[in-house]
Amino acid sequence: MGEALRVVGVLESLGAIAQYVKTAAAAAKLEPAQAYNLRLAVDEIATNIITHGYQDAGLSGEILVWDTCTPKSLIIHLEDYGQAYNPHQWQAEVTPELCQQPLEQRPLGGLGVYLAMRSVDQFRYGRVGDRNHTEFVIFRNPTP
Amino acid sequence: MNIEIQTIGDIQVIALAGDVDANTAPKVQQEILPLALPQSKILLNLTNVPYMSSAGLRMLLSLYRQTTAKQGQLVLVGLGQDIRRTMAVTGFLNFFTTCDSLELGLTVFKRENH
Repeated sequence: MGEALRVVGVLESLGAIAQYVKTAAAAAKLEPAQAYNLRLAVDEIATNIITHGYQDAGLSGEILVWDTCTPKSLIIHLEDYGQAYNPHQWQAEVTPELCQQPLEQRPLGGLGVYLAMRSVDQFRYGRVGDRNHTEFVIFRNPTP
Repeated sequence: MNIEIQTIGDIQVIALAGDVDANTAPKVQQEILPLALPQSKILLNLTNVPYMSSAGLRMLLSLYRQTTAKQGQLVLVGLGQDIRRTMAVTGFLNFFTTCDSLELGLTVFKRENH
């Protein structure tokens, strides 16, 4: 486990969160596409935490980021004190069928969660007391 | 995020450099949406954009809608493999004209003129 990152829950913190994920992905020797997808998933959910969990709810707070790496997987953890949310409920907003519709008719929302869910091997969310805890799991390829 | 805008003939060439995420996308959108005037030809060069989140996709969607509504043309060039994959998964890719290089992208506009 690398040293945890603690950032203020504002959009300007997305760069630091991305850098943390990229460093963890490199240390875990993920494939480039896996590393990109992991960064995408974390970035999308961190964006939602900041804009919906904190800003829209009139709250402010921090996001804590840390990783756990085992021979089989790399897990990125996000913890925040924003409003409770369940990304699994948002998942239904965008479907593969909707993605085939002409762009003129597409709604603007929901894409981030759709991408996040599809970009990692496992996605876990839980509310623990007054905190949201989100985990992004990528399975590491066995070293030849 | 760096945004460079130049005009080549009657084509407006917008070159972005840097990650497009929820923090940077609003700035990009603010700069480039006003360029979508009636019959405008816009080439968006993404060669130096290594990362794009859904905030970037929404920016592309807005630009697409503006250019389409105003009978303009929009061409994307230099899409990296990762961004191309994101656009494919979300169904965006099929609706955009894309080219591998700036030179090819400029040719597409010429061809559509004939």
